[in-house]
Amino acid sequence: MTQWSGYLGLILQGALVTIELTLMGSVLALIMAFLAGMGRLSRFFVLRALATAYIEFFRGTSIFVQLFFAYFVLPLIGLELTPLQAGVLALGLNVGAYAAEVVRGAVQSIGREQHEACIALNLGRWQGLRHVILPQAFLVMLPTFGNNAIELLKATSVVSLISLADLTFQAQVVRAQTGNTMVPFATILVIYFVLALLISWGVRSLERRMARGLDGVRV
Amino acid sequence: MSAPIIKVDAISKSFGAFKVLDGLSMQVMPREKLALIGPSGSGKTTILRILMTLERIDGGYIQIDGEQLYHMERNGQLVPADERHLARMRQKIGMVFQLFNLFPHKSVIDNVTLAPMLTKGMPRPAAEKRAMELLDMVGMADKAKAMPAQLSGGQKQRVAIARALALQPKIMLFDEVTSALDPELVEEVLNVLWRLCAETDMTMLLVTHEMGFAHDFADRVLFFDRGKIVEEGKPDEIFRHPKQERTQGFLKKIIAAGHRV
Repeated sequence: MTQWSGYLGLILQGALVTIELTLMGSVLALIMAFLAGMGRLSRFFVLRALATAYIEFFRGTSIFVQLFFAYFVLPLIGLELTPLQAGVLALGLNVGAYAAEVVRGAVQSIGREQHEACIALNLGRWQGLRHVILPQAFLVMLPTFGNNAIELLKATSVVSLISLADLTFQAQVVRAQTGNTMVPFATILVIYFVLALLISWGVRSLERRMARGLDGVRV
Repeated sequence: MSAPIIKVDAISKSFGAFKVLDGLSMQVMPREKLALIGPSGSGKTTILRILMTLERIDGGYIQIDGEQLYHMERNGQLVPADERHLARMRQKIGMVFQLFNLFPHKSVIDNVTLAPMLTKGMPRPAAEKRAMELLDMVGMADKAKAMPAQLSGGQKQRVAIARALALQPKIMLFDEVTSALDPELVEEVLNVLWRLCAETDMTMLLVTHEMGFAHDFADRVLFFDRGKIVEEGKPDEIFRHPKQERTQGFLKKIIAAGHRV
């Protein structure tokens, strides 16, 4: 029994690394999503082209290869990254590319009449975006952002391949040391699932809070 | 005689192959109340949208309060206006829309205070004080904290009017502001317009299908058809003794449809 509790500690340490990666990766993904999503809607061709190139490239190549590139190839051109940095970079950029399209779609879903009200009230482009369009669009983005965050959580397992001691990595360690396959993998399966549930629940409650009053019922 | 506050000079506007406005000219005097009537697609809403800079013109000139709207002077020549010029010109004009266009994520009072705080740098307490006065004027002070989704159409439109007034425009444009309302809610919005007429000296242009109201309210009525002003005059002349065949035909149809004139 004592033996298992030691291994459980190992797996919980792995869970912390997974959570850390998910949080930091999500922050980077969110930043990239807004930069690239708004870039796609820019009046300037260069910004649109840059954003489109980023989105297509990171959606069109595998996260696995992107991670290996960040960790093994970048040092060759003088950019040495720790496994954690490489992991956050690859995950953030990859999921950010998907989420950028969510940002673009949500902003475009806000009706023309809202833009026209902004013009009639003489709000500048940025003021209208910041105070009128984005707050409404964010509510549209939220559910899909939740999906993106769960995708990112699940994708974190690839970092075990660059020797970052996340959940999956630790499960393999436990398996190697105990010879038991079923217990460590069943355990991390449950932990991934619980983490994903937490994300769903968090996003849903945020959504409920932000939607308050919009439908005229809950205030 | 004072100078016209709006001077539209031979403007044209097309949407694709469809010519909405065709060499349209008109003038509006300060404080004048103008009703724009005509069949749909006649260009009456388009002219309001052009004055609010929601649509650009293909040709012609517009002067607002003595200044070019879509042009500015550079080295003695008129060049197309930049965004800064347009923003300065928009300060003189406010617009109320058929579908209210309130900001659904903001409370009634925040809808009214947003623009003055952002565009005029008004501090929140001053903006709120002014907003409450305006909401009181349109009879919506007790709903200041409500969200737009909790209001009826008539209430929304009254808030939208207060929101436009908060920027103190010299010219107000009303684009079919009662068309989306249930019949029993029309009156409360029209009453607000009467109040504006009595208590402010704004120039008001309204596109409307409420012919009875247009008759009582307007100083002058313009009848639009196919991108042109076919006939204009005092309400009595237009509604009781229209000279043009097309005006007569339009009014006949409107009366047949059950509108009071």
